[in-house]
Amino acid sequence: MEVRIAGITKIFAPDIVALEDVFLTVEKGEFVYLIGTTGSGKTTLLRLITREIVPTRGQISVGNQNLRKIRASELPYYRRSIGVVFQDFKLLPDLTVFENVAFVLEAMGVPPRIVQTRVNEVIDLVGLWRRRFLKPMQLSGGERQRVAIARAMANSPSIFLADEPTGNLDLHTSEEIVRLLLSINAAGTTVIVATHDQYLVDAYRQRVVELHDGRLKRDEKRGRYVIDGEL
Amino acid sequence: MGSFRYILRDTLRLITRHWGLSILTLLTTVTVLFLLGLSSLFALNLRHMVNRVEGELVVQAYLKNGSDASGLAGRIRSVSYVRDVRVISPEEALDRLRAKLGNQAKAVTLLGENPLPWGLEIQVEKASFVSMLVRDLVALPSVEEVVYSGQLADKLSRISVLATRVSGAIMLLGAIISSLVIFNTIRIALYSKSEEIQVMLLVGATRTYIAFPFVLQGLFLGTIGAVLAVVALASGYAYVVSVLKATLPFVVMLQNQTFLLKFHLILLGTGMTLGWMCSWFAVTRFITRAARPS
Repeated sequence: MEVRIAGITKIFAPDIVALEDVFLTVEKGEFVYLIGTTGSGKTTLLRLITREIVPTRGQISVGNQNLRKIRASELPYYRRSIGVVFQDFKLLPDLTVFENVAFVLEAMGVPPRIVQTRVNEVIDLVGLWRRRFLKPMQLSGGERQRVAIARAMANSPSIFLADEPTGNLDLHTSEEIVRLLLSINAAGTTVIVATHDQYLVDAYRQRVVELHDGRLKRDEKRGRYVIDGEL
Repeated sequence: MGSFRYILRDTLRLITRHWGLSILTLLTTVTVLFLLGLSSLFALNLRHMVNRVEGELVVQAYLKNGSDASGLAGRIRSVSYVRDVRVISPEEALDRLRAKLGNQAKAVTLLGENPLPWGLEIQVEKASFVSMLVRDLVALPSVEEVVYSGQLADKLSRISVLATRVSGAIMLLGAIISSLVIFNTIRIALYSKSEEIQVMLLVGATRTYIAFPFVLQGLFLGTIGAVLAVVALASGYAYVVSVLKATLPFVVMLQNQTFLLKFHLILLGTGMTLGWMCSWFAVTRFITRAARPS
């Protein structure tokens, strides 16, 4: 599914402008790095795509759906087409790795037998087979990130959004995570990754969209990580 | 089918996760519903006793000579709050007097004829109607005199009204307390799972799927609370009735089994409805807020 963002402005009360007049189109099957300094509007943009928040002005459409016109009853079904990896993982501490991943499919009403098969499949894919019965507290940061990725992958989404998926991870783990995201993209899924990780952006060159103070500053195919104000 | 299994599993998790709180809610619900049932039974029994006495309350109207007793009885019978009217002939009145006074009653017939007038014995539906009836009877030209237990009727009427009001207030209070207890339990459960709910909303769970375990939790607590309260109340009531029968046989308590069964079913229904409604209200409010885009 492609994402079309047309003239989006998001102002948080009282007058904090998070995004201003942003135009962006991400085609189906593309891999995009969303870069920018802290507070540049990357997370806001991802939250607009998941329709966690609504724009003050402008339109967003994902596939054939105009997110402004989407009804509350349609929202869960729309969200099932998106896989999200949150900045803070948002794993449920009382559930095991398996349960954390299964819970997305269960919420969709997938029969238990299919849940079992699919969850085992994605857990294996992210390399956590041996850890599947552990709880998030018993995992390292990288492992938790992989659980979050497995959860986002579980329902085979058309769009994959990741907010700082390599934040606070060592280089080796970060590379593993990005390779995982690239493999998801290779299967035809549109991937948008908000990141600060200069090394990875430069090592795995993809389209780079840079935001600065809520405005789109740069949109470059196979771009590099260059941000004004950052060394 | 899959969803239903997950919902049942999550309901069980909710109940057992905060088992201390669940037991506390259950105990409070049992206590409140028990008190609610107790006060209702007390009021119903009071009402039953008042009704019995009211049923025996008779207004006697003595008619003037030459009045048409049957015609007047027919007119009075058509009044809505009149339960029964009996015409008492002078002969029947004399027989009653004889039965009551024995030989002394002969004094009445010394003059050779029966001096007792035609009379009417009127029973009303409620004691509160007596004074109204008496006022109307006194105004009738064919009525000579009206005799009734005025003070008793008034007292009964007041007791009846008071009992209805007090039990109504207790029932309302009980319903409010149990509603608040269940509402708060569900709210605490919701807050403890707020992050989970947020994630569920973001990954595409429907509101119904999220809400169902909480609603079932409330329904479960309300139902089990009501069942325990009904069991305690039914056995306690049966015991009290048997004790009163043995010690105070003149106290006639409500023993209509069909009525008592209905009463207990209503109490059970009240518990279930309260549990369901409170949890539904709490969870709907919470999810609507959580799902609202900013």
